[in-house]
Amino acid sequence: MIHMNDVMKVYDNGAIALNHINVDIKKGEFVFLVGPSGAGKSTFIKMLFREVLPSSGILTVNGRDIIHMSNKDVPYLRRSLGVIFQDYRLLPDKTVYENIAFAMQVIEAPRRMMQRNVNNVLDIVGLRDKYKCFPNQLSGGEQQRVAIARAIVNNPAIVIADEPTGNLDPETSWGIMDIFKNINASGTTIVMATHDKTIVDAMQKRVIAIEHGEIVRDEARGGYGYEH
Amino acid sequence: MSINTVEYFIREVIHSLRRNNWMSVASIGTVAVSLFIFGMFLMLVMNMNKMVDAMESQVQIKVYLEDDFSRDDARDLEVDLKKMQGVEKVTFVPKEEAMEKFKERLGDQKTLLDALDETNPLPDSFEVMVLQPEMVKTAAENIEKFEGVDSAKYGQDVMEHLFDITRLIRIFGFALMMVLALATLFIISNTIRLTVFARRKEIAIMKYVGATDWFIRWPFVLEGIVMGFLGSLIASVVLRLTYSGITAKIYDTLAFFPLIPEEPFLNYVTMIVVIGGMIMGAIGSTVSIKRFLKV
Repeated sequence: MIHMNDVMKVYDNGAIALNHINVDIKKGEFVFLVGPSGAGKSTFIKMLFREVLPSSGILTVNGRDIIHMSNKDVPYLRRSLGVIFQDYRLLPDKTVYENIAFAMQVIEAPRRMMQRNVNNVLDIVGLRDKYKCFPNQLSGGEQQRVAIARAIVNNPAIVIADEPTGNLDPETSWGIMDIFKNINASGTTIVMATHDKTIVDAMQKRVIAIEHGEIVRDEARGGYGYEH
Repeated sequence: MSINTVEYFIREVIHSLRRNNWMSVASIGTVAVSLFIFGMFLMLVMNMNKMVDAMESQVQIKVYLEDDFSRDDARDLEVDLKKMQGVEKVTFVPKEEAMEKFKERLGDQKTLLDALDETNPLPDSFEVMVLQPEMVKTAAENIEKFEGVDSAKYGQDVMEHLFDITRLIRIFGFALMMVLALATLFIISNTIRLTVFARRKEIAIMKYVGATDWFIRWPFVLEGIVMGFLGSLIASVVLRLTYSGITAKIYDTLAFFPLIPEEPFLNYVTMIVVIGGMIMGAIGSTVSIKRFLKV
């Protein structure tokens, strides 16, 4: 699914964000990306959907060559990915239903598919009865569920989440993680950057630790490994 | 592009125009004013061109005879003129007939001639047609040498003046149009930039879920086109009224001034103005959205 071979990212100001990264993530894996702030997790995540372009190396996502891809093809790469952020990024003037349908609307999905898929993902995230609500009428956990629903409505092969529980209390975070587990169980690859020790320790999934732009640990069933 | 998508675009445009209603009104107004001035110059230049053309293609020389030249001598002169090289046709116009024509041209104002008290100050004349416009000048010069000929007039001396004026108006008009076009572009692109800025989060989300740049761009480009269209529509209506007003005034006072008739001329002008407005709207919005597509 994701293949990185000697990937480097050097920003214009000369800062090395990622240094000789080699990673292989297979279909259906659940991967936690851990490490201190500023270690390069965000750069790692952003390269996957080509918001950041690697400086050198080989990076393929879902069979697509990220580095040699033309700008024109980026939208099609992103259609095969679902992206989730810490701050949800919902549109405040659209309802829950519209926020999710928006992701289908803008890739010109046929209308008959739209209603079915949106209802389907609303069931997955457990917000069927709140489809008419606006984001400001929802709790943080509910808003993140909407964002997850939006990320998976187009059936992506990979879900990429950047600190999805960063703004949520522990109990709510577990609700979110249950959803991710279910999504993963249906065969979707998940890459999640997180600072949440309890979650990483409890889930016992693959953990990749990044420090100073380098991978310092890659364990198939690891723990968080840092003290808060 | 599916119906679904088209519907989405139209909804977006209406939504956006409403949201920035004052800026939209201001933009549409600026477009209207710019295009109105553009249209006025366009019509002026086209009318001047027509006048120049009309005069340039004149192959007619008016030969005015001296007052004491007798009709018999005139008949001899007619024969001589017909023998000249390049002369196609010679018509004798007696002074009475000239007076009738003059009255006709004056139309409503022929009462002016009452002051003449039935005397006729017009001379007898010939209308000499030459084969080609280039021959007019030499022919006229030669004709003036004949005995009994007071003067031989043709359109070209007037035309040379007119040509100078037209060129000036063209240059000045062109410069002014460029300035106006730039100002219009600037205003439209600023308005669209506000819209785009207000919706930058939405644009970012669209990029993340895989919308193509053109899908994101279309509603904004359409909004620009709609603003250009509405502005040009206002400009066209005012232009039509203005031109009708001016032609009516001119026909009232200067009966024989050769203006381009309203139809179909005004339809062409409207078309040019409307298409111009829409193009400016499209360019203005495309320019302003470019920066926001880099996510």
